[in-house]
Amino acid sequence: MIFNYLKIAFRTLRKNKGYSLLNIFGLAIGITCASLIFLWVEDEVSFNSHFDKQDQVFYVPTHQEYEGEWRTFNSTPGPLAEAMKTEIPGVVRATRTKRMEILLADGDNSINSIGRYVDADFIDIFSLSFVEGHAKEAFKNPNSIVITKETAEVLYGNSKNVVGKNLKVNDTENYLITGVIENLPNNVTFPFNWIAPFEQYSRGQDWMNEYGGFFADTFVELAPEANVEKVDASVRNLLEQKTGDTDSKAFLHTIKDWHLRDDFENAEQVGGRIESVRLFTIIALIILLIACINFMNLSTARSEKRANEVGVRKAMGSGRTRLIFQFISEALILAAIASLVSVILLIILLPQFNLLIEKDLILGLSKPIHIIFLLGITLICGVLAGLYPAFYLSSFKPVQVLKGIKVTQGSANFIRKGLVVGQFTISIVFIISTILVYQQIQHVKNRDLGFDKDQLVSLNVNGTMIDKFEVIKQDLINSGAVKSVGLNNSGVLNGGNNGSGLEWAGGSNTEDVLVFFRYINSDFIETAGMTLLEGKGFSDNVAIDSTNVLITEAFAKLLGEGSAVGKKIVREDTYTVIGVVKDYLFEDMYGQSDPVMFFNYHGEASYMYLKTDPQMATEVILSKVEAVMKKHNPAFPFEYNFVDDAFNAKFKSEQLIGKLSQLFALLAILISCLGLFGLAAYTAEQRSKEIGVRKVLGSSVSGIVKLLSKDFLKLVGVSILIAIPIAWYAMDNWLQDFAYRIEINWWIFVIAGLVAILIALITVSFQAIKAALANPVDSLKTE
Amino acid sequence: MINTLLSLNEATRTVNSGSNKVTLLNNINLDVKEGEFISLMGPSGSGKSTLLNCIGMLDSFTGGGYTFLGEPVHAMKDKNKSKLYKEYIGFVFQAYHLIDELNVYENIETPLLYKNVKSSERKAMVADMLDRFNIVGKKDLFPIQLSGGQQQLVGIARALIGKPKLILADEPTGNLNSKQSEEIMNLFSELNKEGVTIIQATHSESNASYGSRIINLLDGNIVSE
Repeated sequence: MIFNYLKIAFRTLRKNKGYSLLNIFGLAIGITCASLIFLWVEDEVSFNSHFDKQDQVFYVPTHQEYEGEWRTFNSTPGPLAEAMKTEIPGVVRATRTKRMEILLADGDNSINSIGRYVDADFIDIFSLSFVEGHAKEAFKNPNSIVITKETAEVLYGNSKNVVGKNLKVNDTENYLITGVIENLPNNVTFPFNWIAPFEQYSRGQDWMNEYGGFFADTFVELAPEANVEKVDASVRNLLEQKTGDTDSKAFLHTIKDWHLRDDFENAEQVGGRIESVRLFTIIALIILLIACINFMNLSTARSEKRANEVGVRKAMGSGRTRLIFQFISEALILAAIASLVSVILLIILLPQFNLLIEKDLILGLSKPIHIIFLLGITLICGVLAGLYPAFYLSSFKPVQVLKGIKVTQGSANFIRKGLVVGQFTISIVFIISTILVYQQIQHVKNRDLGFDKDQLVSLNVNGTMIDKFEVIKQDLINSGAVKSVGLNNSGVLNGGNNGSGLEWAGGSNTEDVLVFFRYINSDFIETAGMTLLEGKGFSDNVAIDSTNVLITEAFAKLLGEGSAVGKKIVREDTYTVIGVVKDYLFEDMYGQSDPVMFFNYHGEASYMYLKTDPQMATEVILSKVEAVMKKHNPAFPFEYNFVDDAFNAKFKSEQLIGKLSQLFALLAILISCLGLFGLAAYTAEQRSKEIGVRKVLGSSVSGIVKLLSKDFLKLVGVSILIAIPIAWYAMDNWLQDFAYRIEINWWIFVIAGLVAILIALITVSFQAIKAALANPVDSLKTE
Repeated sequence: MINTLLSLNEATRTVNSGSNKVTLLNNINLDVKEGEFISLMGPSGSGKSTLLNCIGMLDSFTGGGYTFLGEPVHAMKDKNKSKLYKEYIGFVFQAYHLIDELNVYENIETPLLYKNVKSSERKAMVADMLDRFNIVGKKDLFPIQLSGGQQQLVGIARALIGKPKLILADEPTGNLNSKQSEEIMNLFSELNKEGVTIIQATHSESNASYGSRIINLLDGNIVSE
């Protein structure tokens, strides 16, 4: 019996090649699309799942209160980890960590490598597995370092026995390699290429052992039987117990939430990437639905052709159940073929998709979960798409269909129209969303940043760059490639160093304000293209400015009425404001500018900024800069970043949403058009006699095209009306997440509507024109 | 002794057309014995096809009694009716109604699938049938590749494959030329001689002459026998 169904199914497919191709292709695109999204979701959800102790490992960030608002920071005081371990029951391991980029060198072979200074517990917390060396021995000597296999390969090639070798770090110290660990997968929140004892980092820095400085990332491991809520409650009280300060509360953030739920608003966990994951899962399902709708539409539209078969089979003794089973199995066969096609599409498209979303997803067809998933999608699509046509087709009465009485398609017609409206509604919502996401990104990107990100190159400060700063600066400017050179202890786009407890005359609530500190050289303001609104900038002579500061507008406002220049601010020492700088954006590109205070001191600078000559080609600039850096700082490889690239990277998640919504809008429309194309072809075929008669009676080609297109355009019109409020509601909701956002303009809806109408028109008119141009003699003869 | 195959008692079929009630069959009384070859005659719209469909259980009488092999069909559920006609009745249609996607062999095989006959048995039965109708060479062809007469031959073969007691043929030669018609009618009378009961609806006097009994219908009534 099944064999018989298969045979019938394949022959039906072959006989109706056009429809079959439309069906298979539409469904294949849908399945491909959904698979891509699910691969991405799988990757997102699997973040950090590589680590063994999923229920016991926690990160410890802090909520801090400023001006009545709780903000959330990653950094914690140095002694917190040890205090948690010794004083809070249930915490069995704890580690301070500090992320660092350092230069690792074996002879002439050197790399800049990001890793962490950590306490020994780190190894057990993350269950790091050693390829060489022993976990227990690794941190016995404070001058040791443990590197990943990958790092070892970069430095030593394939040679084993790396343990025991010395690495020169930052061209100054020697670390002894005491272990090589397995590489971490890509999907971890806190990646590292090496770990080294924390003492190396904190040596001589006594302030790191006090509760006042928040600088370290703290991780803890709880006992398996520990009550997380109880421990968390104790952790939240710990800082107050230690310092009496009620404004800072450390808390536990489970490893399972690191990647997907890391947004906090006023000390409440409010989600994070999980929202994108949910959104795209829904989109994947919607696209599958659209593809299934196509199938239903085309199947029921063609029902007349199958009606006779239904009648004969019933007369031969087939029950309805068997027919339903037959039609669903046909749909399943089609879905299976579509799945195979989509696997091919996936093989072709996955590399492109990876480029687009900047990931390394693999198809992994050998993974049972992927196979099960694909089979699951096939099954669901087949049943979903086949169910309605099966029930519809099997309901035909043999007496009627065999007599050739036309099947009354009233209900089917209505449902079919409803489905087309559904498809186009979804497509139009996608079009509108795509436009709005794009607008929002552009809106923020074109925002006045308060500084000039173009022609700005940033170098990480290392080696002798500070000691030889004056010569380096002079050589850079002499090269002609660079106009000015600035130094800053913090990245211009980053949050960085901040604090509160400042005092000034005339302000209220003074010590509660969070102020960001920047240690810069005199040329930084000019280099970064910031604007000095009042007063004067820093002098080249650092000594003159030892008690002088520059502040931003936002800070000046806090100081009260009148010019801020000349006012005093107390931060342990008393400083005099000598100038006010226009507000600029950092960290959160959607937010407001926080108050910033600049000091004229570049001894601790981490970044060197170069304003380059816009007339000169980028490669020339870089080669000239590299030559200077090689000359004065030869131990370190020349690495650079463009600030505008870094700026663009800040929009990664929005841009991902933007790119994906473009892609899916396109595919949704494509699939819908395939369906519409099929339906139009069917309608033209069904009405061929009518068209013939009309032509004989003198109707023009354009009249017939109009006649055939009109009905479809009406459906698209209804879709537009339904789509607009849905899109408006959804996008308004999305935009609420951004403090700096666009207004939704009515003309976007007009454009989206016109685009949809245009696309539908092109799709339908192809068939309509074909039908209208046909010779009426042919269509009338057959009756 | 000859058994009664089916009997109709005051059987009536009405339909609602708009607000009007139209009577298609009016108080039909009919007994059919096993082995009869009955021709239903009458002008278009006289109710021949309706009567055939109702006897074949594809359609139902709306009033009166219908007994088939002693079973009261009028009181049966659809499922049981389907069982009954699957077992005992074969249909031959004017327009042949072969399934276009299946070849000759498969078309003939289809009723057996619905009767859940085993594969090996099916093969043997279809082979016999092809042999008997001399169409072994055409078993792999599709309906579209056959002439009308050949298609109807396949249609009859398909109706016979389930070894029915009764064959209902609705204008079996309506789409055929006279030579083809003659062949088909000869086949019917041969089958009848072998014991198969046949009821045919026809316009043609000559076709009716093959039968043992002629029933004339007019406006849903039996006017003469």
